[in-house]
Amino acid sequence: MSASSPAVPDPADAALRGPSARERRARVWQMVQLAPIMAVLVLLFGGALVLAVLQSLGFAPWFGVNTFPDFGYFGALWGSSTFWVSLGLTLYYATVSTAIALVFGVLLALALVKIFPGKTFYKYLYKLPLMIPYTVGIALAVLMLSNGGMLSRLAAFAGLIDDPAQFPQILKTHYGWGIIAVYVWKQTPFITLAVYAVLLGIGRETEEAAAILGANRRTIFFRVTLPQILPGVVSSTLICFAFNVGAFEAPFILGGGFPDTLPVVAWRYFNDADYTLQLQGMATVVSIGLVAGVILFGYLAAYRRFERRMGRN
Amino acid sequence: MNRSAAFASLIALAAASAVQAEDADSAAFRDAFLSGEADWAAVEARAQEEGTVNLYYWGGSDLLNVWMDRVVAPALSEKGVALNPVRITGTKDAVDLVLAEKNAGKGVGEGSVDMIWLNGENFATLKRQDALLGSFAPLLPNAANLEWNPDDERSLLNLRDFGVETGGAEVPWSGEQYVCAYNADRVAAEDVPATFADLRAYLEANPGKFTYVKPPHYLGNTFVQQAIYAHNPDGTGAEPFQQSVDQIEAGELARLIAPGLDYLRELEPLLLDAAGGTPRYPEDNAALDGLFLNGEVDFNCKFGLYAVATGLSTGTYPEAAQQFVFPEGTMIKNKNYLAIPANAPNPAAALVLADWMTSVEAQASKLQMTGMPSGIDSWMLDAAGAQAIADASPGLVGVTQDALDANAAPDTNATLVDVIEATWLEYIERDSTDPIEAIVARAYKNLSK
Amino acid sequence: MATKSDTSLSSRLSPFQRFYLIVIAGFILGPFIPLLIQSFAFRWAWPDLLPGTWWLEQRGKSMMPLAWDYVLSPYSRVWEATVNTVAIGLIVTVICLAICLPAARVLAREKFRGKSAFEFFLSLPLIVPEAAIGIALLMMFIRLGLAGSYVGIIVAHLIPTIPYMVRMLTAVYQGLGRDFEEQAMILGASRWQVLRLVTLPMLLPGVVAGALFTFLVSTNIFLLTFFLGQGQIVTLPTLLFSKIAGGTLDASAAGITLIVTLPGIILLIISERFIKEEAFGKGFGN
Repeated sequence: MSASSPAVPDPADAALRGPSARERRARVWQMVQLAPIMAVLVLLFGGALVLAVLQSLGFAPWFGVNTFPDFGYFGALWGSSTFWVSLGLTLYYATVSTAIALVFGVLLALALVKIFPGKTFYKYLYKLPLMIPYTVGIALAVLMLSNGGMLSRLAAFAGLIDDPAQFPQILKTHYGWGIIAVYVWKQTPFITLAVYAVLLGIGRETEEAAAILGANRRTIFFRVTLPQILPGVVSSTLICFAFNVGAFEAPFILGGGFPDTLPVVAWRYFNDADYTLQLQGMATVVSIGLVAGVILFGYLAAYRRFERRMGRN
Repeated sequence: MNRSAAFASLIALAAASAVQAEDADSAAFRDAFLSGEADWAAVEARAQEEGTVNLYYWGGSDLLNVWMDRVVAPALSEKGVALNPVRITGTKDAVDLVLAEKNAGKGVGEGSVDMIWLNGENFATLKRQDALLGSFAPLLPNAANLEWNPDDERSLLNLRDFGVETGGAEVPWSGEQYVCAYNADRVAAEDVPATFADLRAYLEANPGKFTYVKPPHYLGNTFVQQAIYAHNPDGTGAEPFQQSVDQIEAGELARLIAPGLDYLRELEPLLLDAAGGTPRYPEDNAALDGLFLNGEVDFNCKFGLYAVATGLSTGTYPEAAQQFVFPEGTMIKNKNYLAIPANAPNPAAALVLADWMTSVEAQASKLQMTGMPSGIDSWMLDAAGAQAIADASPGLVGVTQDALDANAAPDTNATLVDVIEATWLEYIERDSTDPIEAIVARAYKNLSK
Repeated sequence: MATKSDTSLSSRLSPFQRFYLIVIAGFILGPFIPLLIQSFAFRWAWPDLLPGTWWLEQRGKSMMPLAWDYVLSPYSRVWEATVNTVAIGLIVTVICLAICLPAARVLAREKFRGKSAFEFFLSLPLIVPEAAIGIALLMMFIRLGLAGSYVGIIVAHLIPTIPYMVRMLTAVYQGLGRDFEEQAMILGASRWQVLRLVTLPMLLPGVVAGALFTFLVSTNIFLLTFFLGQGQIVTLPTLLFSKIAGGTLDASAAGITLIVTLPGIILLIISERFIKEEAFGKGFGN
């Protein structure tokens, strides 16, 4: 709508005043168009980030704390071994579930480009988890995977166990299979969508050409198909991984308790009776951002280098 | 790139916090009421002007949610006040909100919370931070339903909340007692434990068939306190734990709680799923109920005087559930309360709500519909009122009221609860190798910060 | 060799793929069967494969609404949460579109200094975990009086939705080219006419895809709503979270889970009808 703003100069009018005036106007117009998005992201997102960093460095006059800049909160956090265990768990859940979802998603996308009966149904079906909140996935995991859940009951029905305690514990352990199951359930469709859309877009000509030249299936996949879907794979896994690192609800409900993942640790700090721990919580939250940033940046840089080596840019 | 923006947002923050607001009208009303100058008709008239009351309460019980909407809201609208029941996942969320608003400079009449359902640490926090409206409870018309005479020992739970003086800044709403239930289909009557030693013996024979809610949830804290009372090395039970942290030395407290915590540490390998490596503690009462229903545990210990009758009527308890006396002599009994924050936006409406909540009518319907025990004192009521409360009771299953009364014990002082909770987290959950004395000393230091 | 390449390019499923599709269907849909059963149960204890007592058997005996009676009653707040979720989603989508359209136009067509840095900044909210900004936002909002308000929630939802929207719209603009607009302008159309008669109709499929995706993201947000809603604003994800936070699922929780699933199914049908897969895909390439 803002494109219709009355401040816009008539192009003919601008042309009369010579190129420099026109350029300047174009520049202003450009800024006007970018201003709303800048305002939202810089003020809210940037503001929140800066505030989080300031607080983690001891700036919280509203709690009567102002020791800025104070690296003690980070020191205390990074100095404790449980932080590193929590970090390890956070990264473990995020990595394993992203990897599994990637494999599932690519396999599904490759199957979906085929022609088969019921394909329309599948095109609806696979997107279902994408459309519904994580909390639904968590509810389903509780129902299926807990020791009193459906799988355990089926095992009892089959005579394999006669007490819920004998069913292998899936939820509430540090192996985190419950958390991983929820992430995979929810994110496989996301990756499938990203890959499938690219597959549809590129058509099959190059694959056919490769086949005519005698390449086998494996070679076609790794030499022809994969490079084409790679950008979609990289960006969708980036988003999934980042989400998994920062997600709170699944590890909170399905996690194994202490030591928790970092977002849950931060939440517990914020809920502690001791209000000064909120700054410790901020340091935790900033650490999550830092770790996620470093890893994702590294991943992106590695991908760019790979692209360059492949001769693209 | 965004340094200037950050600066701008900081200025905005500073500007917002610089405005120390206080609604003069609300302040005048508060002072008039607390000094006894405003009569109740004036309160009711003002409540109608305010029009709404924002009640923040733990919204995890379907039954209570229905009762709020079905009974409380219509009763209040008859008085010209609209109830806004805000369901929160943890009471501390409301306490945090009150304090955050207070710290942001929002004074009397400027906040967003009119009333909170709470007790224990949450009340103690608000009191310590001077975030309560004042001594309103004894001034309510229905205060006559409560025992306020300090010479009568039955007034204890109206005057002290987890050992902290209420000072009339909160009004009792429900009474509760920590009662355990067992599943008679799984446990023979003669195996039902009566003491902590019995419990351990039972678990040695049936490993994994028990767990308790994880502290810092109040249900878990209470179980830990009972274990500490029962293992008090002086044999004085709950008595020394009525003192606050200012009255009891860290070393002395450590000495008193060590046997109980050692018992709990030794119990850990016998708890649910401990065989698989780590014992599992449920996060809340709903999770514990689920474990109990599925037969994953044989006992269900929580605040639940009428939990079995209520659980049977909602299908959340197994059909053979029975209550029993455990642990003998240290079954913690307490009350929970309604408090009005200092910055309540609708103080008069909050007073009207508090008064209605302490009426016989409200207490009887709450008891009948939700199974939450009455918070008012039956001996203060007339015969009809006392009978109405008695008739509303869903009933005990397998125990008698006399047995429960005979084994009742008081809560731990709220300031000690924080220390004990921190010690449990360190010593039991995190398997700290430090001696209890060191952990308690550290907790004392953290809390005094 | 020839036969091998034949199978590789077969447009039919391999046996493994056929098996895989069945497994995926079970994985995605399977859990909904016990969910449906649980929502009609009164007491359903291990190891029963079906409830020992059904809700309908107890319905007359209980004075309190159970299972679906509770879920569908106003007491459950399901309706309020649905209205909130949809209304917040719609408003967020409209605002997001208004903010992102002009920006996407510039990003797709013009070059300026610091453009790649700007683009990187735009995608940062996808990378920075929500937990990292949610709490700091809460501090800001409490001070600004926005905590627990619709305005606060809507503004906060813009943060994770903008990156998707701007990416998808930029891709659309890039595909569009500017010749059409220029031609229309040469033919004497005003800027407004160009926008209304040329640009918008051509943008429409991409805009619809972006809007649907934004709506989807907004309706799925939990953490920001949970932190900033302060319990005062209930949406479907936060309502469900408070029911299952302890890690159990009773009949009313199962019913609420099903209700929370419904808008997603409706959205799924709408999006399948109106937009092509490729339109979604554009947001993710590079």
